[in-house]
Amino acid sequence: MVGMGRPRSFDEHAVLAAATTAFTDLGYEATSVDDLLRATGLHRGSLYQAFGSKRGLFLAALRAHLPDPADPSGSARPGATAHRPSSGAADADDVVLLDLLLVAVLELAPRDDQVRALITRALADHGAPDAAALLLGRRLLARAHIDPAQPSREDPAP
Amino acid sequence: MNNAVTLTPDALLVEPTGLDRMWSFTRRLTIPLAHVRGATIDPDAAAEPKGLRHPGLAVPGKWAGTFTKDGDTSFWNVSGRRSGHRRTIVVQLDQEKYQRLYLTVADPRGTVDAINAAITRRT
Repeated sequence: MVGMGRPRSFDEHAVLAAATTAFTDLGYEATSVDDLLRATGLHRGSLYQAFGSKRGLFLAALRAHLPDPADPSGSARPGATAHRPSSGAADADDVVLLDLLLVAVLELAPRDDQVRALITRALADHGAPDAAALLLGRRLLARAHIDPAQPSREDPAP
Repeated sequence: MNNAVTLTPDALLVEPTGLDRMWSFTRRLTIPLAHVRGATIDPDAAAEPKGLRHPGLAVPGKWAGTFTKDGDTSFWNVSGRRSGHRRTIVVQLDQEKYQRLYLTVADPRGTVDAINAAITRRT
């Protein structure tokens, strides 16, 4: 792997959090570099110097949210909670990770071997093969304000 | 098309085409893939201040050659006004004369994906 250039003069955690919000709100392709500069407060040169590309920034954000395989508690970072697939409602960290995964699965994984491998590994670590699929599917519907348990009786008036 | 970008198993080749070869004073850049950190579609980059020009050309809507800004040395070959700026890609480098390449290419999406896939295969 190549070196990372000059030392960073920014709060990487805050930058990744801001970039994550931009990516999950707008999607990967629709998030422009200018959107990321506005969200993170970085200059264009600093963003490229630190992360190499928009893809590099997305990967860094995804890795920051994935549970650390070396950490038996499954925490993504200090203070983050482990996944509890058995509990009903996902907590805020889980929702952010699921939204990042949805964007990655939909927009990057079909044509990006590295992203596909990263997600495949993360889902495999999750336990039962269908557990991750169920979580992602539930989140996809919840994001769209669709509750399959409560089908609406009537369509909105035209 | 201002720049022909091709990939060999080990290198990224950038060849300014036509008159751009003359304006940019560059026949061909050969960058080892190990020195390429990533590529991004970045149409808005064309609106950034470019910094100081060394050898090269800066006329409205067109920048070709070597520019320095904030200690970074970049190679620019971007033109075509709006239609060209929409096809701007940025390639971040490491251990090279240029920290960054700003290029107008015919197929930004295909070029960026090919560069990122090529450097990923090496790691």
